[in-house]
Amino acid sequence: MNIIEVKNLRKSYHEGITSTVALKNVTFSIRKGEFVAIMGPSGSGKSTLLHLLGLLDEPTSGHYEFNGKNISSYSRNELAVLRNEKIGFVFQAFNLLPRTSVLQNAILPLYYSHIPQSEWEARGKAAVESVGLGHRLSHQPSELSGGEKQRLAIARALVNNPDIIFADEPTGNLDSKSGKNVMSIIQHLNEKEGRTIVLITHESSTAEHSERIIRLMDGEIESDEKVKHRLTPNDEYVK
Amino acid sequence: MTYKHIFQTSIKGLSTNRSRSILTILGIVIGITAIMLVVSLGAGAQSLILGQVQGLGTNTIAVIPGREPTSPSDVSSLFGDSLKQKDIVALQNKSNVPYLKSIMPTVIGSDTASYNSNTYQTSIFGATELIAEIFDLHPSEGRFFQREDVISSADVVVIGSEVATHLFDNEDPLGQKIKIKGRNFKVVAVLPPTGGGSLFNFDSMALMPYTTAQTYLLGIKYFNRIIMQSLTDAQVESTAEDVKLTLRESHNITDPTKDDFTVQTQQDLANRLTTITSALTYFLAAVASIALFVGGVGIMNIMLVSVTERTREIGLRKALGATDRDILSQFLLEAVLLTAIGGVIGIILGSSLAFIISLILSKVLSVDWQYVFPWSGAILGLVVSALIGLIFGGYPAKQAASKSPIEALRYE
Repeated sequence: MNIIEVKNLRKSYHEGITSTVALKNVTFSIRKGEFVAIMGPSGSGKSTLLHLLGLLDEPTSGHYEFNGKNISSYSRNELAVLRNEKIGFVFQAFNLLPRTSVLQNAILPLYYSHIPQSEWEARGKAAVESVGLGHRLSHQPSELSGGEKQRLAIARALVNNPDIIFADEPTGNLDSKSGKNVMSIIQHLNEKEGRTIVLITHESSTAEHSERIIRLMDGEIESDEKVKHRLTPNDEYVK
Repeated sequence: MTYKHIFQTSIKGLSTNRSRSILTILGIVIGITAIMLVVSLGAGAQSLILGQVQGLGTNTIAVIPGREPTSPSDVSSLFGDSLKQKDIVALQNKSNVPYLKSIMPTVIGSDTASYNSNTYQTSIFGATELIAEIFDLHPSEGRFFQREDVISSADVVVIGSEVATHLFDNEDPLGQKIKIKGRNFKVVAVLPPTGGGSLFNFDSMALMPYTTAQTYLLGIKYFNRIIMQSLTDAQVESTAEDVKLTLRESHNITDPTKDDFTVQTQQDLANRLTTITSALTYFLAAVASIALFVGGVGIMNIMLVSVTERTREIGLRKALGATDRDILSQFLLEAVLLTAIGGVIGIILGSSLAFIISLILSKVLSVDWQYVFPWSGAILGLVVSALIGLIFGGYPAKQAASKSPIEALRYE
């Protein structure tokens, strides 16, 4: 069963009279439970692809089936509901709310969900504890290290129990030790909890935690192959 | 997202930017406070003035010579000499004005009064013995001149408290003679201080029979004003009408537009004063609204900054599942909360200040200044401040809601 199926996905940006094509005719699919890394140099269109897959942006043309449903006819509201219920995001820049506690940051997606408020705290605590920040619940993001911030962002992505997690350069702002820690959590989510992961990175050492690497070049898929020697959480993480 | 959660989110948004929120509220507070103050003090002044007017009795009717002044330069109408003794006789005729209770011709003037070496510029008010009853005057010593004094043009005078202190220092004025225009007048009574709030300032007046004032001081045969009372309040209108008809007949006037007199009832005067004080209050309130408007622009400014500054937060919230409506509600509610809180504080502050000022005014001016809680000002203030929140917060909120998630997230 494929959670993601894209056909001839295309995205171009118009600015004045010039138009830039970020993605041309991209076609592939991702199975439920798969761990896919998207690689490519900057400008190759990997971020654009992730935003399209994560329903944050709409393609110029092409066909996109998410969870077996064609989402091209979905309204902005319906897309928001899908993002809330099925998708978790982890960003390179963390995007935590300042002056807001760790627990409150973690339960932010629940404000937009149908989950009753009585369950929020328990869910938030469980998510924060699962990334090893249980002792930091009432701290502010400014009191956390970079690695801890990204783990909090992962907890926030998990709190709605999503089917798929999109991670956009999650280790990009981290030192190697924190990066390794974050990658081991992400890998754990895939292997032990069976969540689908789509990860963007330009570091091969990070990409090799995945099962499959899609390489983009100038908006097109250059290669799409299985990882032969997959790294485990215990392997040395080299930046 | 439920309303409860929108509310929680907005409160959190405001409290994480506490100092900015407080400064924004301050603008609204100042605006609403100013409006409340103006409206409350205006209403207080109005009730004070109306109280004075109605103190004369609502059954009072006054006739002044000349037409109603049509403009400030229409002076001729003010100093007419059309009201004569024959008019009094005609008005006193029961078949002309059946419901007349009392009638009093009056004359006014101004002259220097002296006693020994002391002098004082007084207003001369000539009337009949009815003046004590009509104006509700009670001498602190002595007694008012009587009917016989009016008939005989007696040289008697009742002086106000200011006149007494200036002319007599610590001496007892009663029975002494003061000099006006070289003629001696015997002081038969002294009036107690009336305070500053009275329409007629009796404190600086010398009251005497109108016959005396006409003959010896003013040298005129006409009256400056005729004051009448109807039997009951309900008969004021018909009596005023009777007075007009009688005077027209007495003056041989057939065309009502050529009247050489004006009849005013106490109700007319009250209505006119109400119009004037209301107009003044609304004018001042309009001036005060400028402060409120500036406060509103402040809100818009802050909300725009807030939306721009929090664009990434908006993007994040959208990525996590917030709909356009969620974002719109959050920012709109933030703006409305700011203005509503400012409005409530402004109402409390404005009405307390007005209360304190009314206390001070009644103490310092020793007038009966009533504190009025300005309900209209309060409701207006609340509605206007909430509207300001909706309008000035609405535009930035709409801007915030219409951004696509990725556009907002990427915002630098």
